[in-house]
Amino acid sequence: MFLKSANNLSKIVLKYFFICNFFIISPYSNASEKKKDWEIKASKVSGQTIFFHAWGGAKNINSYIKWASDAVKKKYNLTVKHVKVSDTANVVARILSEKNVKKNNNGAVDLVWINGENFSVMKKNNMLLSENWIKNLPNSKYLDFENNLSLLNDFGVPTEGMEMPWGVSQLNFYYDSKYIKSPPQSASELKNYIIKNKGRFTFPQPPDFTGTSFLKQILIELIDDKSSLKSEYVDHKHKNALSPLWKWLSETTPYFWREGKNYPPNYLALTELVAEREIDIAMAFNIAHASNAISEGKLPNTVRSYIHKDGTLANVHFLAIPYNSGKKTAAKIFVNFLISPEAQLKKQDKNFWGDPSVISVTKLDKEWKNKFSILPRGIATLSNEELTMKLEEPHPSWVKAIEEGWIEKYGSKN
Amino acid sequence: MINSFCRPLSKASFVFIGIIIIIPITCGFLGFFLPSFNYLPILGKGEFSLNYFYISMNIPGIYKSIILSTFTGFVSTVLALFFSQVILLYFFKTKFFNYIKIIISPLIALPHITMAIGLIFLLSPSGLLLRSVSPWLSGFERPPNSYIFPDEYGFFLILGIMLKEIPFLILVSLSALREFSSKKFFDLGKSFQHSSFSSWFILIFPIIYKKIRLVIFIIIAFSSSVVDMSLLLAPSTPSTLSVRILQIFQSSDMDSFFIASNLSLIQLLIIIILLIFWIFLEKIVKQKYFYIFFIKITSFKSEFLKFVILCFGIILFLLSFMGIISSMLWGVSENWYFPNFFPNDLNINGFLSFYDQNKSLIFISIYIPLIVSLLSISLTIIWVELIDYLNIKKTQFEWIIFIPLFIPQISFLIGLQSFIIFLNLNSFLTPLIIVQLFYVIPYSFIILAPAIREVKSDYIKVASSLGKNRIARLFKIKIPLVLPSLLTSFAIGMIVSFSLYLPVYFIGAGRVTTLTVEALNLALSGSKQDLGIATFFQILFPILLLITIAFIIKKTIKWKFNFN
Repeated sequence: MFLKSANNLSKIVLKYFFICNFFIISPYSNASEKKKDWEIKASKVSGQTIFFHAWGGAKNINSYIKWASDAVKKKYNLTVKHVKVSDTANVVARILSEKNVKKNNNGAVDLVWINGENFSVMKKNNMLLSENWIKNLPNSKYLDFENNLSLLNDFGVPTEGMEMPWGVSQLNFYYDSKYIKSPPQSASELKNYIIKNKGRFTFPQPPDFTGTSFLKQILIELIDDKSSLKSEYVDHKHKNALSPLWKWLSETTPYFWREGKNYPPNYLALTELVAEREIDIAMAFNIAHASNAISEGKLPNTVRSYIHKDGTLANVHFLAIPYNSGKKTAAKIFVNFLISPEAQLKKQDKNFWGDPSVISVTKLDKEWKNKFSILPRGIATLSNEELTMKLEEPHPSWVKAIEEGWIEKYGSKN
Repeated sequence: MINSFCRPLSKASFVFIGIIIIIPITCGFLGFFLPSFNYLPILGKGEFSLNYFYISMNIPGIYKSIILSTFTGFVSTVLALFFSQVILLYFFKTKFFNYIKIIISPLIALPHITMAIGLIFLLSPSGLLLRSVSPWLSGFERPPNSYIFPDEYGFFLILGIMLKEIPFLILVSLSALREFSSKKFFDLGKSFQHSSFSSWFILIFPIIYKKIRLVIFIIIAFSSSVVDMSLLLAPSTPSTLSVRILQIFQSSDMDSFFIASNLSLIQLLIIIILLIFWIFLEKIVKQKYFYIFFIKITSFKSEFLKFVILCFGIILFLLSFMGIISSMLWGVSENWYFPNFFPNDLNINGFLSFYDQNKSLIFISIYIPLIVSLLSISLTIIWVELIDYLNIKKTQFEWIIFIPLFIPQISFLIGLQSFIIFLNLNSFLTPLIIVQLFYVIPYSFIILAPAIREVKSDYIKVASSLGKNRIARLFKIKIPLVLPSLLTSFAIGMIVSFSLYLPVYFIGAGRVTTLTVEALNLALSGSKQDLGIATFFQILFPILLLITIAFIIKKTIKWKFNFN
């Protein structure tokens, strides 16, 4: 008992020592000292185990995380256990209940893959490591924080250095080009397509992330005053702003797959429906999703991707450390590896994940620049030029209004 | 000397075990009961109020969910009971009767979600059934745009529950049949010119019913609150109450915990109301005029009706087996798109890579049931011995053991989870094993305890006159005598533990996960090949276990007693 608390005490002292070290020394030290400091830190985490809670629904992402875990095991003798989450809201709920019962150290979660509404809830409830830690990681020098503001804003909420950008996503649609010549490229074209082809369109059931994002996409395309989406959703002020979305849905829902009385649970389930030709058009946030599915034999190789004319929702996904993690340093070491050119290159590789890198190529040396430039793209992945039209995420508070409205109108009426 | 020391000690351990059982049950119950009345001091809510009832009742579509849960729970129990009896009565006194147990054993052993997955593979618009008639008969070049599966009213959920519960009810009815001279009763009925149908339902069924009543109550509680099957087979706009509780509990809102707790209480009330209604029905059915009415309507010996019912029963069995076969077929298939009836490519690469990536998952999925089942039978034996030693004659209080089966799993686990987080444990495996014990002990107990208690006291007396003490009597006389029951109880315990979904989901919190949880995730993400493979492993384990146990029983039990 005594030993344990003494041990804890020494840990706390050590931790504060390190934090102080960071703040006092690092601004004045040169790069080599910073590197040395980091190496000392890295040597301390040898033998530790961290729990990385990350959505675990896709095989290619899981094997990418496995690859990264193996790499840090080799490099730092740090064990990373991937806790495969079905919905990140569960992780938030778990940390919240830990906070409620005042379990303020050694929480279940050491690192979480997060963005959007979940981040905003965690930030609001002070559930994250609140120091501005991301710029202290050596590999953060590859990220262009000055020019790319989306790296510091998560759905319009300033991250204040509480989460590290990990990858970039953009909503994209895919279809089988063998059967469809020109897919509908706007909300109103899509409406006509749905009505003409009864039963051949659906989206994942909100509150699924992709499903809700699809509703946001339609809302952004149809809303009169786009600027209102930047501010916090206030019921009495913005209720009418949602009505174009409800109108669009009331016209299309009867023509959905299974008459809109049943929805697939997530975006992966859509893949199978396209492959079996139950539906014509599906969507994903990962721009390489269709290509990956083709190479895994889950979609025919005639499938192609597209986005809407006015652009589609784009966002950055992040890595954050909960306030009550017992192994914050180890988590940072892993994050630092995940944003290294080596790990980001592998992530962007279509044979692994195909998720666009967050590091800026101009900050890399020649060798890495070259490696990034020769990365092949998947057969159904859009080029950077085709993906230039990006829409900004609405303020996270809109998510709840859209989800609750949809559930009330379409998710509970049958 | 030893005795004077042993007695208080065992009395103390009796009380101790009692407390160990009661405390978590109480915690689990209070953990959702109090918050549903807005009471949880640790979160700063110290005043009882009914506001969460008001909020719960205003959730969109909540009435639909409540009705759906109640309806599916009741109808699936009634139909499962009916078909289990019909199948038994038509095979009773035929030579197939002896094989029934062999046919149903694997079906009982399969996890619930395996059955649900089988139905999806078979009946969905791109499933095997429609492929078999497409496009040559149906004209479908692509899966039809239909809203049949899953249906609006929960019929497929009912079907899924039935497929799982009918074999179980047949099994318990079979052992009930062996306990009285059922054949004579049946012949007696026939000699009164009753049809087989009415002789069964008037003379035999009431006796069976009395013996399997507890099991029926358990099935009612289970089927009106099942989560894993509902996620796959119930409609989704809205789903059953249990699924909605899970969804609300998962959202990151602070209030959601209280709303989920409140709905958990409502879920418990549904079960209580259903049980009261069932007992009320029992009273009606017992009336004399009901008998007269019953004899009147069943006295006609309609061959056609018999044929229809029998066909229905056979179709149910075929559905189970076909579902399992198609799961396996999908596991080895590649590029298998509608309307092809057979896959273009067959290979086992998927199996090898799944096994390679999930070795530890498969290991832990077998390790947990092994430990849980061993603990469960040990505790059962210790309990029965203690009761015997302390000479406690009245054992009615043992119903406490069955409480966890009557509180909806989701409610109980929501209640327990907050306590477990509060205890600040760093292990996830130990609490999971303890929680699983609550769901496994009832089954070990129901099989093993009667067997030990029925060991003839003569043997024990002889042994003690030879100077054997209690421990020696237990290991040398009782356990060898009840070995078949012990092994069966062990196997059932492992199978129950293996198929548990919610306890692993809640208590394992993602840190500890099993094949059953993984299979459900795969089923929701729609990758049919991976799902087929996971399902294959889920089928493989229980079947191997059953074969092993049957083999051990055959090898070790070289002699047979006639206990009567």
